[in-house]
Amino acid sequence: MSDGIGARVKRKEDKRFITGKGKYTDDIRMENQAYAAFVRSPHAHAKVTGIDASAAEAMDGVIAVLNGAQLTGDGIGNIITGWAITSKDGSPMNIGAWSALATEKVRYVGDAVAVVIAETQAQARLAAEAVDVDYEELAPSVSTAKTLQDNQPLVHDEIANNLCFDWEIGDEAKTDAALSGAAHITEIELTNNRLSPNAMEPRAAIAVFDSAEDHYTLYTTSQNPHVARLVLSAFYNVAPEHKLRVIAPDVGGGFGSKIYIYPEEITCLWASMKTGRSVKWTADRSEAFMTDAHGRDHVTKARMGFDDTGKIVGFKVDTIANIGAYASLFATATPTYLYGTLLSGQYDIPAIYGNVKAVYTNTVPVDAYRGAGRPEATYLIERIVEKAAREMGRDVADLRRTNFIRAFPYQTQVLLAYDSGDFDTVLDMAQKAADVAGFPARKAEAASRGKLRGLGYSCFIEACGLAPSAAAGSLGAGVGLWESAEVRVNPVGTIEILTGTHSHGQGHETTFCQLASDRFGIPVENVSIVHGDTDKVQFGMGTYGSRSGPVGMSAVMKALDKVEAKVKKIVAHSLEASEDDIVIEGGEAKVAGTDKKMAWHEIGLAAYMAHNLPEGMEPGLKETSFFDPVNFSFPSGTFICEVEVDPETGVTQIVQFVAADDFGTIINPMIVEGQVHGGVTQGIGQALLEGVVYDDEGQLLTGSYMDYTMPRADDVPSYVIGHGCTPSPNNPLGLKGCGEAGAIGAPPAVINAIVDAIGTENIEMPATPQRVWAAIQATQMPVAAE
Amino acid sequence: MTNVSMTVNGKAVSRDIPDTTLLSDFLREELRLTGTHVGCDTSQCGACVVHVDGKAVKACTALAVSLEGAAVTTIEGIANGGLHPMQTAFNDHHGLQCGFCTPGMIMAGIDIVNRYKAQGRSLSEEAIRDELEGNICRCTGYHNIVKAIEDAAAKM
Amino acid sequence: MDMNGEHRIAASRETVWTALNDEDVLRACIPGCEELNKTSETGFHAIVVQKIGPVKARFEGEVELTNIKAPESYTIQGEGKGGVAGFAKGGADVTLAEEAGETLLAYTVHATVGGKLAQLGSRLIDSTARKLAGKFFDNFQAHLNPEPAAETA
Repeated sequence: MSDGIGARVKRKEDKRFITGKGKYTDDIRMENQAYAAFVRSPHAHAKVTGIDASAAEAMDGVIAVLNGAQLTGDGIGNIITGWAITSKDGSPMNIGAWSALATEKVRYVGDAVAVVIAETQAQARLAAEAVDVDYEELAPSVSTAKTLQDNQPLVHDEIANNLCFDWEIGDEAKTDAALSGAAHITEIELTNNRLSPNAMEPRAAIAVFDSAEDHYTLYTTSQNPHVARLVLSAFYNVAPEHKLRVIAPDVGGGFGSKIYIYPEEITCLWASMKTGRSVKWTADRSEAFMTDAHGRDHVTKARMGFDDTGKIVGFKVDTIANIGAYASLFATATPTYLYGTLLSGQYDIPAIYGNVKAVYTNTVPVDAYRGAGRPEATYLIERIVEKAAREMGRDVADLRRTNFIRAFPYQTQVLLAYDSGDFDTVLDMAQKAADVAGFPARKAEAASRGKLRGLGYSCFIEACGLAPSAAAGSLGAGVGLWESAEVRVNPVGTIEILTGTHSHGQGHETTFCQLASDRFGIPVENVSIVHGDTDKVQFGMGTYGSRSGPVGMSAVMKALDKVEAKVKKIVAHSLEASEDDIVIEGGEAKVAGTDKKMAWHEIGLAAYMAHNLPEGMEPGLKETSFFDPVNFSFPSGTFICEVEVDPETGVTQIVQFVAADDFGTIINPMIVEGQVHGGVTQGIGQALLEGVVYDDEGQLLTGSYMDYTMPRADDVPSYVIGHGCTPSPNNPLGLKGCGEAGAIGAPPAVINAIVDAIGTENIEMPATPQRVWAAIQATQMPVAAE
Repeated sequence: MTNVSMTVNGKAVSRDIPDTTLLSDFLREELRLTGTHVGCDTSQCGACVVHVDGKAVKACTALAVSLEGAAVTTIEGIANGGLHPMQTAFNDHHGLQCGFCTPGMIMAGIDIVNRYKAQGRSLSEEAIRDELEGNICRCTGYHNIVKAIEDAAAKM
Repeated sequence: MDMNGEHRIAASRETVWTALNDEDVLRACIPGCEELNKTSETGFHAIVVQKIGPVKARFEGEVELTNIKAPESYTIQGEGKGGVAGFAKGGADVTLAEEAGETLLAYTVHATVGGKLAQLGSRLIDSTARKLAGKFFDNFQAHLNPEPAAETA
């Protein structure tokens, strides 16, 4: 069937987007709608000593000016973090209180202290300017590397040394012993640069309070509306779950930043109740830079030991992870269970120890951003392995092969057990596609033009589809990590699939339909997806961590199994045949070896007419499944980047980028390749262009697209993509997840290529022309004075 | 308040609006043509690109009252009933994911192809990438957007 | 942002000192100054409108003179709130030296900006500050002595 699994089906959802008919949150206008504008701190750290709203309240169109004391006074709860981490000494993590509107102290530039509700957006923004807040400025702590030091200001007065937790994984004594006996030790110190996610649609919310029903509806830019409802209900006390409907309509990209329940949505809901108006808020890009959770921001020192054959004997890692001013939803899980557990990479390493200190600073919260912890682990491992190869005079690919894991399942020294993979084959595929054999000639040709060519590898593995729920719970997770699906076959045979995942660019409206199409042989046009509305879909965990395929689609498959079983019973009964002889294909159910059959629409009708169902069978054709995987899935791959550096200007051009991956089974190669293109581009952005900068006073200096360099069309090449396939044994489709791989694997490939080109390891991300030029200059012998 | 009259997608419109109203707000809030998106506040992202008198303009940079008598075309107005070849090409080549930058990309793409054709210049991949400098996409990595514009150029 | 400079002013040190403490002179010379009123012997309330890059803001704040050693030197410090544009604060150490009947005014400035100004305009702060300082001294010079004198900044 051309619409089934593996087909390059064009996207069903495209029509509304290419015609301008998408419905994003800001496109929605409610009756009785008012607008919110937030009064935000211009200081990184200050006491709030007074808020004078009298001038603002007197302005045209102003309905109310509300503050944090009122919000907490109404019982709205503090914002939570979703994963409890225990420090290595057994103590619980230290969490600083986070109110949606700051009460006593502001802790980052952009921290909201009040909200103005007015008739128009312009009136709300003007009045927000007129709210006079008295701040008593405090010295801020801004630096990731320094915030733990004794003399630093405290972000939260009660949290000593700004330490959220001091966590460890692996065996320190065993690792120290292995390193002390190593024939060669490679050391590295590096920074994983802080990034701003920058989904193109800024965050927005519309809160609608219905006083007659004591009911709230929230339209919002969310990757996981059910989790939003759960948290808003259970922790922020906005309303009980049955009185709160959360709708995530078309959402313009997420990349992690729209997982979290931010102060603005909480405040809009509360303000809607306070004012009796529908309250709409739409961020401008400046607010997005200031308030959307940032990503990465690690400072790491590591040592890797090798025996005299090049086999890795031990790996010891010491990381400081900045979580910003408050612990956001996944902020504590990201640098621990999504980072420390990946420190084995694709390699058989007998001894690993990781220590992660998560620290507070006077900056916006840092949380999961595309890849979340796994890019940080991959960057570290793949930089240090290539550095080691150069130090030991080994070929960088050959040293990797010396250490590849080849037997699966493989139990790492850092908790995870890899399910499947074939790293040699994928590396071979990448080397062939990148024409590694021809590289010396290309390098020589570039040199003849005065240019420096370099080739860099990244052999990554990541963990997707966080699971299973019980294991995650035992490690501190605050939610289950299963997914739900409901498959409804209508009386005319069309199908609706309800999923708890959410599509904001990933193409679920097409790929999820392909599953039903594949199973029953009906065209994808006859299948549709329902998602993003807590009133329609019972529950779900949303879309993040590349989980929609391995977990969400698996739930659909389980529900399809149940539908198929019931269909076979109905058909067998109707055609007086044995269930075991029923074959469903091409939109028909046939009795094998006969010409007896029922068309798909006849089966639907039979189920609902219920005139002739088997004894005891309930009418209808609707099945539900909750799928909880037995393990993570482990996508992997090899990226090879070829760069050409101009030593005169330091400009790096990516001349070729090969991405060979192993995502297990692929439902729609067109969509998977699109995910890789986008992820790799974000990874190239991290490597060459992007970096959030706060100055020493905690002022955000990269607050717009003039100063935060997004990858543009002319910064990146067209990509060469290849797929290997070792299906995951842990879910019915053999899927591994593909959403994050590009962003995880790309940065070290780019930086390793630059290192190869310019001959020095001393280069940090983003490798801007200025940095590359300076690194080249630093390698030149000083010219003797005349 | 100033009265402004212009033609939008072939229809005459007239409104009394504050002088500070940007064309992007005029289209979205006054005319409820919400296909024109606003992705930044510094005129960098290009999600709001429309055509004014046949030329691509970032709608967030133009004051609506400055466009008295102008002919404005938005994403909603480039095809009559069916799809413009550029729209079809974006679908054919998977040139969009979340869809938010897409209207601006399509409007910019049409403008690029029209200009090159008018000047008799051929449109290479390099030229398309260069011309897209004013449009940011966070999802697609541009790979398929470039392919879509190349394909549409052959069909326009 | 740190900046320093020197200006030769064709007037006696006493005259320059008096002018530097005169609210009318300061109001006339500070670029974009809409209001400047003495609130105490050493304090002023000021409103200044400035455009830095894409951000135009009306700053309202208090200005305080400290370390006064008439007629040789003082420190002028201020902080202005610019609404959503953020804030600017800073100080300048100003010294006056007599030189051949004229006055050599030297200053060192340390200033910081916050909020939107930092996010959108930080690249432009140095050049804007230099431009504003230059304009202030042009105005000041013109006010004291309509004949322009040599500048050594």
